[in-house]
Amino acid sequence: MVTRETIASFRNPWFTASVGITAAIAIVSAIVGFVWLPLQHPGERFKGVWDAICSAAGLVRNAASGTQIVRAHYLTTSVEIDPQMLRGASAESIGRGATLALRCTMCHGARGLSQADTPNLAGEYPVTIYKELVDFKTGARVSAVMAPLVADLSDADMRDLAAYYAYLPRVSVPEPAAGEPPRIVASGAPLRGIAPCGACHGEVDSKASAAWLEGQPAVYLRTQLEAFSTGARHNDIGAQMRNIARQMTATEISAASEFYAGRP
Amino acid sequence: MSHLSTSDEGADRGERTERRWATAAVMILALMVVVATFAALYHGAMPQSRVETADPRTLHLGGEFIESNLGSALEPDGSVTVRAIGQQYSFTPSCILVPTDTPVTFRATSADVVHGFLIDGTNINLMLVPGYVSSLGARFDAPGERLMPCHEFCSVGHEGMWGRIQIIDKAAFARMAADQRRLSCVE
Amino acid sequence: MWNSRRLVLAHLWFAFASFGTALPLGEWQMFIRSPLHPWISDPEWYYRSVTAHGTTMAYVFPTLVAMGFGYFVTEHALRRPMVGLRWAWLGFALVVVGTIAAIVPVALGRASVLYTFYPPLIGHPSYYIGVVLVVVGSWVWVALMSINMYRWKRDNPGAPVPFPMFATVAGSYLWAWTAVGAALELLFQIIPVALGWRSTIDAGLARVFFSWTLHAIVYFWLMPAYIAYYTIVPRAIGGRLFSDTMGRIAFILFLIVAMPIGIHHAFEDPQVGSGFKYLHSVFTALVTLPTSLTVFTICASVEIAGRLRGGKGVLGWLKALPWRNPVMLGVALSFVMLGFGGAGGLINMSYPLNATVHNTQWITGHFHLIFGGAIVIMYFVIAYDIWPHLTGRTLDSFGLMRAQLWTWFIGMIVLTFPWHWVGILGMPRRMAFYDYADPAIAAQAASVTMSVGGGAILVLSGVLFLVVLVRGQTAPQTEPAAYRFSVAVRPPRALPAALNGFGLWLGLMVALTIVNYGFPIAHSLATPGTAVPVVEVGERW
Repeated sequence: MVTRETIASFRNPWFTASVGITAAIAIVSAIVGFVWLPLQHPGERFKGVWDAICSAAGLVRNAASGTQIVRAHYLTTSVEIDPQMLRGASAESIGRGATLALRCTMCHGARGLSQADTPNLAGEYPVTIYKELVDFKTGARVSAVMAPLVADLSDADMRDLAAYYAYLPRVSVPEPAAGEPPRIVASGAPLRGIAPCGACHGEVDSKASAAWLEGQPAVYLRTQLEAFSTGARHNDIGAQMRNIARQMTATEISAASEFYAGRP
Repeated sequence: MSHLSTSDEGADRGERTERRWATAAVMILALMVVVATFAALYHGAMPQSRVETADPRTLHLGGEFIESNLGSALEPDGSVTVRAIGQQYSFTPSCILVPTDTPVTFRATSADVVHGFLIDGTNINLMLVPGYVSSLGARFDAPGERLMPCHEFCSVGHEGMWGRIQIIDKAAFARMAADQRRLSCVE
Repeated sequence: MWNSRRLVLAHLWFAFASFGTALPLGEWQMFIRSPLHPWISDPEWYYRSVTAHGTTMAYVFPTLVAMGFGYFVTEHALRRPMVGLRWAWLGFALVVVGTIAAIVPVALGRASVLYTFYPPLIGHPSYYIGVVLVVVGSWVWVALMSINMYRWKRDNPGAPVPFPMFATVAGSYLWAWTAVGAALELLFQIIPVALGWRSTIDAGLARVFFSWTLHAIVYFWLMPAYIAYYTIVPRAIGGRLFSDTMGRIAFILFLIVAMPIGIHHAFEDPQVGSGFKYLHSVFTALVTLPTSLTVFTICASVEIAGRLRGGKGVLGWLKALPWRNPVMLGVALSFVMLGFGGAGGLINMSYPLNATVHNTQWITGHFHLIFGGAIVIMYFVIAYDIWPHLTGRTLDSFGLMRAQLWTWFIGMIVLTFPWHWVGILGMPRRMAFYDYADPAIAAQAASVTMSVGGGAILVLSGVLFLVVLVRGQTAPQTEPAAYRFSVAVRPPRALPAALNGFGLWLGLMVALTIVNYGFPIAHSLATPGTAVPVVEVGERW
């Protein structure tokens, strides 16, 4: 009932037809897709057919820089962030950091818990601390107070400080943490391009270099958000905090700052 | 089953109908391919024709996508190049400015994870994959403002990632471009 | 007497139990992000649910249905006990263990990466390892399908392989080959970074590997439904299959062309050359052909049944059909959804139109209609048809079955039609909430609300389905007659050898894969500097 011819032979019509049709469709489509269409692409200048084919095949063809690159008139951060960086600090590193931190206690507190409106550093993400120190040193983040204090810190010193402060226990915010979070914190404002703060700042998920905010002084948070909104602070990579702060109203900035500071 | 005729005539008619159907199906799908191909040609509706790479770790340190170089640039030939990055959870510039009646090329990449780039009401629809540069040509006929959401899951803040694009009159754009080399409608 | 009854029942119960868990999650998601609910206070819950719903509905539920139905076909189409029963149980165990290993981290919020994985977002390694185990379990099934068919061929030289088995094996080979893409992505890219052995990943290459799997997997999902169209429906409604030969050709076409077309899921991606995008879109057009052939063959087969029941006239035979038979109702409702869903697919397959809808809610609406609608309704039909043979008990709640099928259909239409519409309005996918108060998107609110209603009807329908099955487990015992598949109008007289085996077709499938995917993958591997830092999800301090 089943015929007995060899399948893989050009005498078998099934073989010939299927292989032939498949090959024909592939070849015609390849000619159209790799040669004809690319050569018709508006706005593309290929150096000949072979260049067009290679480009259509996906070989990397980085465009020449063309227009000159516009530089900023201010410094931006020079830190390259890797989400895995500064993990697993050694005890020696933490110890060295503790020693270096002795000079920070006047403003940032003995255990990294500040009595003033300077930020609490205890339990802060190490990447955040490291990045801000580097930015203070390079001038990407401007602070008349911090600049001289970090001037003589080496890169290893800054990593050690980050390790030390990360290791300290965090400030505990009175429970329930300032009641229900205001809408801007819990849900952001989607059509203004504001995600919930916790999406980066740790309560929902943490993005490398975004600071842990709970318990930070309200005054500090407010001044930083205001600085981002005017562009006075510009060390955020890719303007991501400036994008957000610009769209926040003064009320929202206050509400968010008060919430994180822990006061109702 | 008594009146189920397996007569050759009935079978042949059935087979003929089947053949006609199959032929019609093949012709319809060939027609669809041809129409899609011609739409690609005559409306320039083609995907980008080059693969380009960019390192997301160093976008902000040097090269085409540093923050001061983002935004809309008026090229010497009168066209406009818009450069943008997508990151968790905003686009920079968060408000893009383009002129009417001008060839516009969008060039964008991601600084971290996969994002989407969609301009509502248009066919400008891209994926931003970290490591690669996406580009697309476009042309806007009328002024207005449109939403520009990220349409791909980029983790828990994705629902907050909406940008905007403003299309303004070509002459007004040219006047602004005289003062600044990179334009946007960020306030 | 057949010995895989408990095996098949185990597969189907686990499948439907997982379906029953994932279904309300889907409706919850729809509700949470609609105007009917305030913005969820922790968006991560939403994405966790999307991951769980997608993983279950895409990787667990249809795989188990295909496996269970495949074992059923093996014994009943080949009319002999299945070879390798113990291996089959091992395969099932792997699927169950894999499911648990995957769902636990998702439930704990450690793997909210969505079922499409999307590196460089990376979750807990147990999630990915779980998915791999599910796939390996299904590969055991593939091997058993193949072995059983070849043993039968050896014992029945010169005889045509019974069509249900031929189609099932085609589907299994398709699955085995298409799963390779995601397997490569998981084994060589994602799991090493999830375990911490590497800290960077090429996201573009990962997307290309995933696209290898992503399209043909839907044809794997579709296989049981199409096999049911050809081999169950004609018999169940008292008719004959119009053409056995055309059926074989349709499944062969799926085997060859379903696979190497995945880059139409990456039309807007920057890491693939435009030439390959075009090539894939042409072959995607080709894959509409086996569906068109199927539509003809099944409509003709149904017409035969109508005329055998005394129907006359050009369309008068429609009235004569056994509409009170759940199988008849199911296939008709399935074809309506297939028509609309298929039309949506035609829009997605070409770049110019795809660019208008990519990653909008149109896409989500589309695959819910075609898979959740046209295909899953046939899974219900299959279950209803074979359940008495699995349980040894009667299944006669025909009124409930019809109500269940109607509610599934109506719910799916009410869910997905507005869903397509908001996609056209530009609503982006996968957001935990939307600001419907803003005039820019206020127009979408009504449609989303309608979809919530449709989803609620679906949940009701899912409950009815489980009720019918449970009733079937507790009904009075019976000895059903031997199971029969549909018979062709004209049994194949001289079946060409090419339509009785798979060597040629597998060769074409592999060759096309090499042509369509070989260079993009090879060149991506060879291009330096495209690996990017991993971003772990689910980290909380």
